[in-house]
Amino acid sequence: MLEAAGFTVAEAATGAQATETARSVRPRLVLLDIQLPDIDGFEVARRLATEAGGPVIVLTSTREAADYGGLIAASPAAGFLPKDELSGAALREFLPADSP
Amino acid sequence: MTRRLLAAALGAVAAVIFQVAVIYSQRPFPLLIVTVISVAVGASFLLAGLAAWHRWPASRLGLLFTVTGYAWVVPSLAHLPYALPFTVGNLIASVYAASLAHLALAWPTGRLRSRFECGVVIAVYAWNTLQSLVSMLFWNPATSGCGPGCPANLLLASDSPAVERVFDQISVPVGLSLSAIVLTLIFRHWWRARGWSRRAMVALVWISVAVIALSVAQTVASNLNLADSSLLLYGIAPVILLTGPALFVVSTLLARTARGALGTAIVDLQPGAPPEMLRDALARALGDSTLQLAFRVPGSAGYLDTAGQSVDPGQLGPGRALTALPAVSDALLVHDQALQQEPQLVRLTASAASMALEHARLQAEVRAQLEQVRASRARIVEAGDAERRRLERDLHDGAQQRLVTLSLALGMAREQAAGADPALQSLLDSAGQEAREALVELRELARGIHPAVLTETGLAGALQALAERSTVATTIAEVPGRRYPAAVEATAYFVVSEALANVAKHALTDAAVVAIRELPGRLLVAVTDDGAGGARPDGGSGLRGLADRVASVGGVLTIDSPPGAGTRLAAEIPCP
Repeated sequence: MLEAAGFTVAEAATGAQATETARSVRPRLVLLDIQLPDIDGFEVARRLATEAGGPVIVLTSTREAADYGGLIAASPAAGFLPKDELSGAALREFLPADSP
Repeated sequence: MTRRLLAAALGAVAAVIFQVAVIYSQRPFPLLIVTVISVAVGASFLLAGLAAWHRWPASRLGLLFTVTGYAWVVPSLAHLPYALPFTVGNLIASVYAASLAHLALAWPTGRLRSRFECGVVIAVYAWNTLQSLVSMLFWNPATSGCGPGCPANLLLASDSPAVERVFDQISVPVGLSLSAIVLTLIFRHWWRARGWSRRAMVALVWISVAVIALSVAQTVASNLNLADSSLLLYGIAPVILLTGPALFVVSTLLARTARGALGTAIVDLQPGAPPEMLRDALARALGDSTLQLAFRVPGSAGYLDTAGQSVDPGQLGPGRALTALPAVSDALLVHDQALQQEPQLVRLTASAASMALEHARLQAEVRAQLEQVRASRARIVEAGDAERRRLERDLHDGAQQRLVTLSLALGMAREQAAGADPALQSLLDSAGQEAREALVELRELARGIHPAVLTETGLAGALQALAERSTVATTIAEVPGRRYPAAVEATAYFVVSEALANVAKHALTDAAVVAIRELPGRLLVAVTDDGAGGARPDGGSGLRGLADRVASVGGVLTIDSPPGAGTRLAAEIPCP
């Protein structure tokens, strides 16, 4: 769906892989599931944010934002999108206006 | 009353009548006070003998009191105006002193303690007899101390006052020495006695000092021929002898006091008090500081008392006795042997100890059962919680994921169908809308089963989410950031959730304050509103269920809700 919307996508299945992939690919945006098989999405977001030129991070989950209380606001992520509201247009909202 | 006791009672009555008759056979009549004292001393010993026989049938004390009584009464024969009774009466006039010494040395069990003491008692009797016999051989009543009206001394061998005087001078130091030995032994008994025996010895020590002082005074007076003092010393001073039977009265009172004190001690003993407190209470009440309460060491034949000392029921040591407790097979009482003389008191003590131990055992059993019930209730609630968490996770991982995927696919289909058939677009729009609504409903359902936010973020995040969704403006005044055991977090969460739902439904207000404070060992959860009040703990199944839920983790739910003055629902939940 994201490729159809014009994104170039690199996938990672776990939190550790996501950190690795982000370091090598240097994406502009990371769509990060909160529930991962190893560490949780909040922890991955914290690790990515400490790296220079960190990407824009958007958290996502099958659950609602309210199910995570203040954790989303406290994380360095730019925002949260419920999975059922995912779309290229919704993601683009998080990118700076001047980007292609 | 047994036949033997009846015979003894008749004998005592006859003895008293005989004594009065004999005394009044004299001319002129003796002084009334002297007669009264003399009869009272004999009668009181005989009475004490009867009572002691009745009360302590296994002991020889009754016999000793009785013998002393007769030894006092029978010498009254000397008052008869005939030579034979006169001679016999004078010969046995001081046997009572020997049996008094015997009684004192055998106190309080009725048994002499050693061969040496048996020897001392035999020596006292022998010396007493010898002294009387020798005196009689040389005493002529017509010329010395009695006068020409006196009957003859049938034993007179030689009318020699000089020999009599010499013998008297020899006998004084021997008699005083024997008195000193008896007194020393009595003091030694008192000094060595512990517990009940010591208590029983106290009165005897005082009485012995008085009686021996009397006997010494009589000896000295008779040797100095102080005729002026004979009325006082031989007629009135023997009133001191009444203290002998008083021993019996004192020991009866001691036993009675101890019985009363036992009852009070057991009533005052706190339910479930530890065995050492029970021992102390029984020992104090009994007046036996040596009392031991011993329990069988599990898996062995040995016993340990409450002070941790080993007790061997086969080898108790001298002066100790053992009493089994009725209904408590693994405990024993070890006490002063002298207490066995009061079997009723021992039985009462054993029953009291059994009752208290049985009470403590039952209480411990009930407490253990309650603890089991509490633990099983907590386990049931925890299992329920775990099951709800599993259901929520299954919904999330299964149906919710599929609906999300379906929703996304419908969204993509809608994008790809852009510009195509408007009927198809409208159909895809409505299908997407349905899928989203199904997802919302499913999330509500899952949250009702178990709030995922509680598992994910703990109390702070979960309460924030609860406050945001609540229709009442909720302020979280205080909430600790740390995590607690799942059961504690779930209970605290459900308290707040139920309280906020109640505020929304019944309180007629739109504001509530939630505060969770951690105190040492417990979590205090409070939800306060300024609404209508008047809520009752038994008012609805919601609050009752909540109270059960809080109790399942060992907590307490309280509601303070005066009509018109708001409601404060508070739960105190124990937590590590």
